[in-house]
Amino acid sequence: MKPRLKLLWLQGVTCNGNTHSFLNYPHLSYILETFEFLYHPLLPSTYTLEEISTCAHECDILVFEGAYDPRMERVGTSLERVVHHYGNHARYIIAAGSCASFGGMFKHSDPEHITGLGFDEKEPKGPFVKNSKLINLSGCPIHPEWMGYTLRMIADNKPISIDELHRPKELYSYLAHHGCTRNEYFEWKVDSDHFGTKEGCLFYKQGCRGPMTHASCNKILWNDVSSKTRAGSPCFGCTEPDFPRTNMFETKTNMSIPQDVPVGISKRSYLTMAGIAKSFHIPRLEKRLIDDNT
Amino acid sequence: MITRKWIERIEGEASVQFTFEHNKVSFATIAFPHFRGMEAILHARPAMDALVITPRVCGICGHSHLFAAVRAIESVYANSGFPLEISPKAEALRELTLSLELIQNHFKWLYLVIYPELSHLVQCPIADSFRLKGAYAASLATKVLAIFAGQWPHSSYMIPGGVTCDPTYVDTVRAMGLLDELIRWFEKELTGISLEEYLHLSSTKALSRLSGDMGDLDKMLRAANMHKQGFSYDRYCVLGEHGFSKPSKNINKRTTKVNAKQVTLENPYTVDEKTYAKNALYQNNPFETGPLARAIINGIPLIKHLHRSFRDSTYSRIMARSYEIALLLNHCKILLQSIRLDEPSFIEPHKKITSLSGEGVGIVEAPRGPLMHKVTLNKGIIDHYALITPTQWNLASGSPQTPGPAQKAMIGADSIEIATFTFRAFDVCSVCTTH
Amino acid sequence: MKSVPEKTANTKKEDRKTSIMQTALKLFSTEGFYTTTMPAIAQKLGMSVGNFYNYFSSKDQLAKELMLYISTVLGDKLREINMTDVSVKEKITMIVHMYFSIARERPELIEYFLRVFLSNREIFTKECTGMVCVSGFVTELMLFFDDGVQRGELKNQDFFSALGLFMGYLGGMVFLNGEEVLPHPLSEYETAIAENIYNALRKQ
Ligand code: SF4
Ligand code: SF4
Repeated sequence: MKPRLKLLWLQGVTCNGNTHSFLNYPHLSYILETFEFLYHPLLPSTYTLEEISTCAHECDILVFEGAYDPRMERVGTSLERVVHHYGNHARYIIAAGSCASFGGMFKHSDPEHITGLGFDEKEPKGPFVKNSKLINLSGCPIHPEWMGYTLRMIADNKPISIDELHRPKELYSYLAHHGCTRNEYFEWKVDSDHFGTKEGCLFYKQGCRGPMTHASCNKILWNDVSSKTRAGSPCFGCTEPDFPRTNMFETKTNMSIPQDVPVGISKRSYLTMAGIAKSFHIPRLEKRLIDDNT
Repeated sequence: MITRKWIERIEGEASVQFTFEHNKVSFATIAFPHFRGMEAILHARPAMDALVITPRVCGICGHSHLFAAVRAIESVYANSGFPLEISPKAEALRELTLSLELIQNHFKWLYLVIYPELSHLVQCPIADSFRLKGAYAASLATKVLAIFAGQWPHSSYMIPGGVTCDPTYVDTVRAMGLLDELIRWFEKELTGISLEEYLHLSSTKALSRLSGDMGDLDKMLRAANMHKQGFSYDRYCVLGEHGFSKPSKNINKRTTKVNAKQVTLENPYTVDEKTYAKNALYQNNPFETGPLARAIINGIPLIKHLHRSFRDSTYSRIMARSYEIALLLNHCKILLQSIRLDEPSFIEPHKKITSLSGEGVGIVEAPRGPLMHKVTLNKGIIDHYALITPTQWNLASGSPQTPGPAQKAMIGADSIEIATFTFRAFDVCSVCTTH
Repeated sequence: MKSVPEKTANTKKEDRKTSIMQTALKLFSTEGFYTTTMPAIAQKLGMSVGNFYNYFSSKDQLAKELMLYISTVLGDKLREINMTDVSVKEKITMIVHMYFSIARERPELIEYFLRVFLSNREIFTKECTGMVCVSGFVTELMLFFDDGVQRGELKNQDFFSALGLFMGYLGGMVFLNGEEVLPHPLSEYETAIAENIYNALRKQ
């Protein structure tokens, strides 16, 4: 048997959501066979956190969950010291979730000091700035399959190409919008009048960030079954550096014109297309999808 | 002699300082060193943002936070004279997905925390893969949850007025299929008898009929003498109103009404140590919350019977939490059958949230007990937000005169190992406790 | 890729179309929309009626294309203004000036818009639903409003209330001017009108 890669899962300022999301990964036995967890908050591990904190060990992969606060202590030891020690020796540093990637939710509890591992929102900041070992798996929480992909690519010695925010391109070149069941409503500009319907697109009123968010939620479904937009909730753009924005259930408009339009499309092109699409009334899209039981 | 111990693998960590007298724990304080300032993050945001922010208080019970937040906002509506109408379908879906969150929580706690610790105590090691059973069962439960909520963790699908999803019978049929699979797995792996039979057990003796992991759990707990220790106040409190549990308190075996207004907070007691968790009390008294409390108050026959012999021992506490899985699986099954999809998912509030001012309280039963969200809105903007989590009850760090329920339960333990196990039986969650 | 000669042929056809539209617009504004017939336009251009129908298969189609044409002309001008790096207030002045200049130099364009397009909606219902035929112009206006709000200069309000205020005002002035009610030439009102529009739309 090949020696297992040593993986250390540390936590900063977090809700543990990434830990729990990853526990939904369907191939955890593969993970346990391939990686030795020096420490994980829940999975069987070789050491306790206290033992890890002595910095007497080294890991191949450092997974870090939560925002980074250099002043924080875990089990009585400086997080800064522990993170530097293990990060410097590791071959890969994986930021699990948006807090570890960009500061995320918990950055807001102290915006001045708290950051991600290599970014403070979009700006380079943190203990591993411009570090080529850093892989950001943003998302609030992380998607288990995205982590599974990354770990397996590492285990198999395959290259992972990353975008300018250090996110794997294969996961984050897609937009959350790709594959949404409401795409046709988006095309023809049929809004969802209110929440709680499977018809209509959530872009115009309900604040959907799908077309502006790099994520493959509607390609690789959540929990294997669904996604926010399929369940009628707007995408909140949780994989982007500016998450969490404010007023997340409402589309920001200027004189009824959406402030943000799909990534890489000029507002002029967008409005031209939208104006034309909107002027057609398509009865099929304006009525309920299934009319017997609704 | 005072010994300090870091307790890990509890959704963060706690520092417990034990005082020993005559080789037994005579007192213990509990400190939670991390603080994230959730309430401040919520301040000055539009009310609806609470539905995105508060689930992130906790990665394991975020859905309970979502439910509490939505009830809190709905209570502001009601208090301002605009009670919202929620369709039975939306109510049922909320209750279903909440129950599923409780189920996944209990599975993880059982397999990833209790079995490993217990097997260590009774020196009967378990394989790594055994622990993965908890993750597997939990992921089946969250899969069913996600069919309606879009994802788990961190869905925001409950909104004032209902839910955002609009499922078809294809979805409910799929959910039933998965739920059946989970129930069959439960019967095979945990009980060795059918769920129905299990739910009809009413005496401790009958537990010997169990094979599976529940049978082992029962035996191991007794082998570790857990039915003879871990006693606390034997005083219980449930505050959330649900199909599976009614709000009440139970003192000296008498169940009486509760009023959430009587909940108070007290500063924690620690020695030379900073903690960020305030103690939650009812009428200034500590109460135990969570599955044992729910089972006693709702009169679940098996647990009541068990309680008669073993009171609020660690054994009763652990059995009650594990048994709740069965109760909730059954509850989910009934809910799924009952949902009528021709009802609306969402009924638009007549009053705009941006014109809403006032206070509201939302309470739900989270995996570990009552979770309260209190919000004050000013024209739809959050002026003030306060959270009281279940672990603030159970893991309160009180003075030697009035220790919290877990503190009290640890008193008398022979060793730190036993005391720590007693502590974990409360299903500790550090992130919720401090938020 | 299209071959070169084909392109030239296309360009020629387009040029011819444009000259037909200009003639038609003039006739509509002097003779009236309903009284001007397709043969009359052909005759004015010295074309056979048969050939004329090669360009526009019906009067409705001509009417629609005219509107598209006007919207493009106005849209292009507005686009230039949108791309200029000046304050929102200055842009409003430029738009008012642009609109009144067109009203003066090519009154048939504005007249067609006001008298034919807005007052004979039934002609346009089939192929010109909603704002399709004016989208060139409306898109630029949207971009102008959006930019104004983003810069914090204009109040965030419903698009149509702003559109009505802006275009209704300009149209009204052109109408009064056409009816010869105004004591002064239109250009003399530009500054005051731009000021009024700005005050009405700006963020308080
Ligand atoms: S709801 Fe969102 S993700 Fe879905 S089609 Fe509309 S914009 Fe795209
Ligand atoms: S849909 Fe949007 S908010 Fe939801 S998980 Fe994906 S990226 Fe995050």
